[in-house]
Amino acid sequence: MKSYNQLSDRYPFLKALPFMLPFALVYGIFLIYPIFRGFWMSLHRWTMIRNMGFVGLDNYLYMIKDPAFWGSLGNTLLFVIISTPTIVIGGLVLALLANQKIKGQLFIKIAFFLPYVLSVAVISSIMVYFFQPHSGLLNGILQSYFGMEETIFWLGETKLAWFVIVFATLWWTVGFNMVLYLAALQDIPESFYEAAEVDGATKLQQLLYITLPSLKPITWVVTLLQIIFSFKIFAQVWLITGGGPGTDTRPIVQYIYEVSFKQNSMGYGAAMAFAFFIILVLVSMAQIYLRKREEG
Amino acid sequence: MENKTSPTAKVLKYSFSYLLAVLFIFPILWMLFASLKPSGYHVSQIIEWFLPPYSISNYFSVINQAPILKWMLNSFIVSASVTFIVIIFDSLAAFALSVIDFKHKNIVFILFTIGLMVPTEANVVALFDIVQKLGLINTYPGLILPRIAIPLGIVILKEFFDAIPRDLIDSARIDGCGLFRIYFSIFMPLSKAAIASIGIFTFIQSWNAFLWPFISIMTKEMFTLPVGVPTFTDAYTPDYSIPMTVNMIASLPAIAAFLLFQKQIIQGIKFTGIKG
Repeated sequence: MKSYNQLSDRYPFLKALPFMLPFALVYGIFLIYPIFRGFWMSLHRWTMIRNMGFVGLDNYLYMIKDPAFWGSLGNTLLFVIISTPTIVIGGLVLALLANQKIKGQLFIKIAFFLPYVLSVAVISSIMVYFFQPHSGLLNGILQSYFGMEETIFWLGETKLAWFVIVFATLWWTVGFNMVLYLAALQDIPESFYEAAEVDGATKLQQLLYITLPSLKPITWVVTLLQIIFSFKIFAQVWLITGGGPGTDTRPIVQYIYEVSFKQNSMGYGAAMAFAFFIILVLVSMAQIYLRKREEG
Repeated sequence: MENKTSPTAKVLKYSFSYLLAVLFIFPILWMLFASLKPSGYHVSQIIEWFLPPYSISNYFSVINQAPILKWMLNSFIVSASVTFIVIIFDSLAAFALSVIDFKHKNIVFILFTIGLMVPTEANVVALFDIVQKLGLINTYPGLILPRIAIPLGIVILKEFFDAIPRDLIDSARIDGCGLFRIYFSIFMPLSKAAIASIGIFTFIQSWNAFLWPFISIMTKEMFTLPVGVPTFTDAYTPDYSIPMTVNMIASLPAIAAFLLFQKQIIQGIKFTGIKG
């Protein structure tokens, strides 16, 4: 025992090792190794059963000429561009509403957040029926109470299908952003508002000159998380539109899934997954860089 | 503070908040009411969705027809194991990174945190290959292990552990406590609140996980709830009561957990924000 202690006092790493080893093993095998393994696979023809031989960069060369790759990457980018401002600003607005000191504040907060705890399978199922053309709730409401005559095929047209996907994602996840904004709102010292009140500032001026500037740091965080989250979109599209009509709403993650597991080309799938990984790393680094520069 | 706002503006602002809140839970309420409609019941007016007759017979027929309770059990086994192991592994590693001064500690910490930039979505193809070679496809460990690899808990717990006063360690050492005792009897009890938040947040994330279970589960028997539930959703049926019942059964544990552990869940989200 004693010799071990003496040894590890000189080499504190040996003391730390047993504490870190359990996590490090799982982390190494199931999170870090797959990155390298994925790159290795991308240099081969590879089926779900076995490695079919080295092909060099052929998968990547195929990728840059594959219109379906660019199409699905474009769909993902489109979703990022539409959903990021929508869900970030949505979170801010809900936080401002939920932060009012009014009766039923707790109910409002819970209502805004509740969809987030539901599984993507459940929210997608609800949305499928909500937007169903003939017996769905939305068309029913529009026809019964708002005099709409035609039947809208929400998932039959590209633009409407995108609307449904963004709507579903907003409803499901905006509560997450709201919680982050609420925490930041509650950190703004009450005395700022009291001082502004004394100086005769209106509510609008207080919002513009106290609240919003104070929320700048958290807005960076929320935006970063939202962009990454939006890039990873798959499940709700898969379950609501299946990528349709045609492949008009198919995101890159779905295409990677289909190529790898339905068409059994895991080598090519791994190449696209690796490209996708690089894109995400670049996006994260760009944001970190911008934020550092902003903070000076 | 409120004296500047006119009463009408106030009423307007408040009713807008309430209205929006009701709209947010409206689809969830619809799910509840649709699950209570007798199967095959024809709804001709929208309002009928929400009016009696109510019946809970759908719940019995769903439980009898489909292995939904087995799926729930699978989800529970996976999520509970993930949560338990994450708490132990992450706290052990965070403890070493916070308390023991070894060379290149910062580099080790950075190596652990870069994993936060690696999403499952970009890793699934290789992960499938690795898990398959380990013979773990379609097994509980195959679902559990990749989730444990996410290092978020370490980042959060290290911050917590860093804030614990160092004299506590010194006096414990004088009393002859080993490192493990210090971890177990001092650091863990002092971080109960953080651990509870991480635990509940991890549980819900795992409970709702879709992509990896969807890819790596091959048989109906091994489905988790999020993989099993969509097998009931069929856009072409006008009978919503059975699928909505399935949705309700799948959601009840999450909703109950949320109402019970609101504070911890919200804290868990704030922690996720810290890493940004």
